Amino acid sequence: MTTATRVLTVDDSPSMRALLNHALSTQGFDVSQAEDGMAALDWLALNEVDVVITDINMPRLDGFGLIERLREGSRHRDRPILVLTTESSEEKKARARAAGATGWIVKPFDPAKLVAAVRRVAH
Amino acid sequence: MFETRILADGALTPDRITVMQGQAVVSAEARAELSTVLGSCVALCLFDPEARLGGMNHFLLAEPPVNASGDTVDEFYGTYLMELLVNQMLGKGARKSRLKAHLYGGANVNRNMMRIGSANADFARSFVQREGIELVRSDLGGNNARRIDFRPASGQVRCRTVEDRFAPPVQPTTRPEKATGDVELF
Repeated sequence: MTTATRVLTVDDSPSMRALLNHALSTQGFDVSQAEDGMAALDWLALNEVDVVITDINMPRLDGFGLIERLREGSRHRDRPILVLTTESSEEKKARARAAGATGWIVKPFDPAKLVAAVRRVAH
Repeated sequence: MFETRILADGALTPDRITVMQGQAVVSAEARAELSTVLGSCVALCLFDPEARLGGMNHFLLAEPPVNASGDTVDEFYGTYLMELLVNQMLGKGARKSRLKAHLYGGANVNRNMMRIGSANADFARSFVQREGIELVRSDLGGNNARRIDFRPASGQVRCRTVEDRFAPPVQPTTRPEKATGDVELF
């Protein structure tokens, strides 16, 4: 029996969440969604996940803060975290990498490439 | 792109900024006026009354590839273009919960582009609704081109019907080659 890869997407835009949900769930992923970094932390405190996909610009707790908080503890130290963002600056990409991100994807995303990346990093 | 003139009585005319297809412009300048002429294209104007900040984009989305899901426009690219405007607003101090939206354009000025103009208007309306942004005014569809003048610091909008010949010729915007959602694993 195979178990679906569990993905948490973190994005403050309902439109983007809808696109992500459609792109991933139609490919067999078990998708959960959070609207910002704080909501993601609350959800992750009670649930297990295989891959996190996060936006950068979000209210309350942004993507950088989310990655830093997840890497602080032992539970999510090795969890694959993909950043999916409209940001294209090298400085922000370097910051995400230093915070512990696993990969960087620039919007607008291509559903096939996103799915391939999630499959590649999922343990 | 900026235009400032001093009238005989010393008053300043607006600093007019023309928003071209594919652009998104945000400003809090008191004299700034964002202007555009729309045929089938659609413009979203956003205004935060507390931050006294506004922005406008101007787009006409292409139809998605034939193998894409049943959407009538390239919703992936459209959502990205909208997000660019929203993020510019938030980056300059706006709050999403305070945003007020205006939508204009999507006219059926060209019989061959009727479907894509209407589809773009539908996409823009759905986006604003899904994002929970209050739509305070919309003037979409019809057969006439429109000229929009938007003062971003006050939120004042003037929408006038103009002759179709003033609407710039447009091609539906397809994703630029570089916008392919490339993945870089660290």
